[in-house]
Amino acid sequence: MKRRSSESFPKKRSGLTYSRRKSLYGYGFISLWLVGTVFFFIIPLIESIRYSFSEIAIKPKKLEVEFVGLKNYIYALNKDPHYTEYLAETLKETLWKTPLIIIFSLFIAVVLNQKFKGRGLARAIFFLPVIIVTGPVFRIISGDMDTSGSIQGEQFSTMFSTDLVGELLEFLGIYGTGDGLRSYITAIADNIFGIVWSSGVQILLFLAALQQIPSSAREAAELEGATSWEYFWKITFPYVSPFILANTIYTVIDTFTSPMNKVMERILTLQNQDINYGGASAMAWMYFAAAMVFIVIIALIANRFIYYENDTR
Amino acid sequence: MKRKKTAAERVWSVFRFLIISGLGFIILYPLIYMVSCTFRERGDMNDPTVVWLPRNFTFSVLKETVQAMDFPRTLVNTFVLNVVCTVFQIVSCALTGYGFARFEFRGKKLLFGIVILMILVPTQIISLPLFFRFRYFGIEGVATVNLIDNMLTMYLPAITANGIRSGLMILIFRQFFRGMPKELEDAACIDGCGPFMTFVRVMLPNAMMSVLTVFLFTIVWYWNDYYISTMFFHNTRTVATMLHNLDNELKIRLFGSATVQISERERIVWNQAGCLISIAPILIMYLCLQKRFTESIERSGIVG
Repeated sequence: MKRRSSESFPKKRSGLTYSRRKSLYGYGFISLWLVGTVFFFIIPLIESIRYSFSEIAIKPKKLEVEFVGLKNYIYALNKDPHYTEYLAETLKETLWKTPLIIIFSLFIAVVLNQKFKGRGLARAIFFLPVIIVTGPVFRIISGDMDTSGSIQGEQFSTMFSTDLVGELLEFLGIYGTGDGLRSYITAIADNIFGIVWSSGVQILLFLAALQQIPSSAREAAELEGATSWEYFWKITFPYVSPFILANTIYTVIDTFTSPMNKVMERILTLQNQDINYGGASAMAWMYFAAAMVFIVIIALIANRFIYYENDTR
Repeated sequence: MKRKKTAAERVWSVFRFLIISGLGFIILYPLIYMVSCTFRERGDMNDPTVVWLPRNFTFSVLKETVQAMDFPRTLVNTFVLNVVCTVFQIVSCALTGYGFARFEFRGKKLLFGIVILMILVPTQIISLPLFFRFRYFGIEGVATVNLIDNMLTMYLPAITANGIRSGLMILIFRQFFRGMPKELEDAACIDGCGPFMTFVRVMLPNAMMSVLTVFLFTIVWYWNDYYISTMFFHNTRTVATMLHNLDNELKIRLFGSATVQISERERIVWNQAGCLISIAPILIMYLCLQKRFTESIERSGIVG
């Protein structure tokens, strides 16, 4: 490669061209990552595919991998007592929870972007889940909320009970909202704890996106006499739409890969207790494939609605 | 017209206050509950009159939990591990992000595709081959070392920009460096800086907001990680893994056997105490940094 380039620039044989040198520097900057990725990502990824088609035994000196074809996949789908059930459950949960989280976090981000007293404090509180939610602490917190039967826990959920939502809607003069919307709102109310706690990063991203809206857009809208409702749909929404996609993907990945979800737990038990490494790999790959299908569909749908200010992004 | 608008705004500001404080309460609730539980005696859990303030105020639960988690040693251990990993990760991800943002080279699109893939592929898929890689580290059949329980299992990926969620960190840096004006680079070049010096002297000092964001995320994710740690560490303890196994440790250390039954409700006291001491360090750090952190969002340290 080097020789060919020096032939094509015969006059500069003594030194590299500026652009060539720059490209070498480019490789230099990413070289550390490149080495690491080959060793800690690409090779393990390929090996993981190989494992999923093999039976694995640990011998004192090395690992024995024997090719068995699709056996592991068939086992996971047909024979494993829980896998398909958990898989369906997780998919369903992701399907309804993701839009809720996105809508909720966009709403909160818009609110937190307004100027009001105590905004700094409010932001600090709403970002708080970011530092807690990925760890074992959240596992314990949410576990204690659900199963402890503590009095506070019960109070907590009745605070947002079904009736209250319906009454609130009627109080606000919203009648005949239809069962669909109402059950959706009820779902929000019932799962408010989980939703608020898993929207930290999303709120953060949306808030950052809202800062990107140029003030000229705001001034123009004010000059034209846009109401804040119109402002949201005509200015805010198009600007944040790329981030809706990013956030959706983030949310889906986050829900899918959280060590707390049931499929992941099943994979871990298979790995650590049953020592069925092949089966565990096969399950993980099918699970990942399902997640990818999910993400590709979302991306395809979203691409039709997203507004890009400049296409270079 | 104008008066009407202010009225609507006033209603909205009341409404906004209600929403924010209501939802804020949902977030703070578990934390308040945590503090409240930590200083109770286990019997208080069964007392219906105890809601927030413990009837029998005690430090003993806290002491027992600290003892069961071997907290001082675990804390130092975790702290060293996290700080070293985070520093490595910031340096390596900044370099990589800069390389992707500022240089044109062959195969860049493909390589960047791999970065995106790193974000998408869950750790769970590659953790098993990684485990064997570290278990038999070296050249197969010639010389292998067992690196399990060695801190290197964490340091090596971090130093090569392959640590926990490093794909995301590379992306953050890349987005930021792409937004820097080209003139800055040219000026540095004219002043005799090579690309590397340009990066160190000109670009990095401007990227402090991104560095802060990445620092916070990385340290939090390393702090909270128990999946990878339980995989690679068996005797090396981190706060997260200790908390994960708190139930067993408690039974063994406090009551002398792993089969003792404590009612689920009473166990909450120790669990919550464990949670409290586990998040306390990271919480304090967050409180110190949050002002700058929120500022960094204002100045778009994330999306660039």
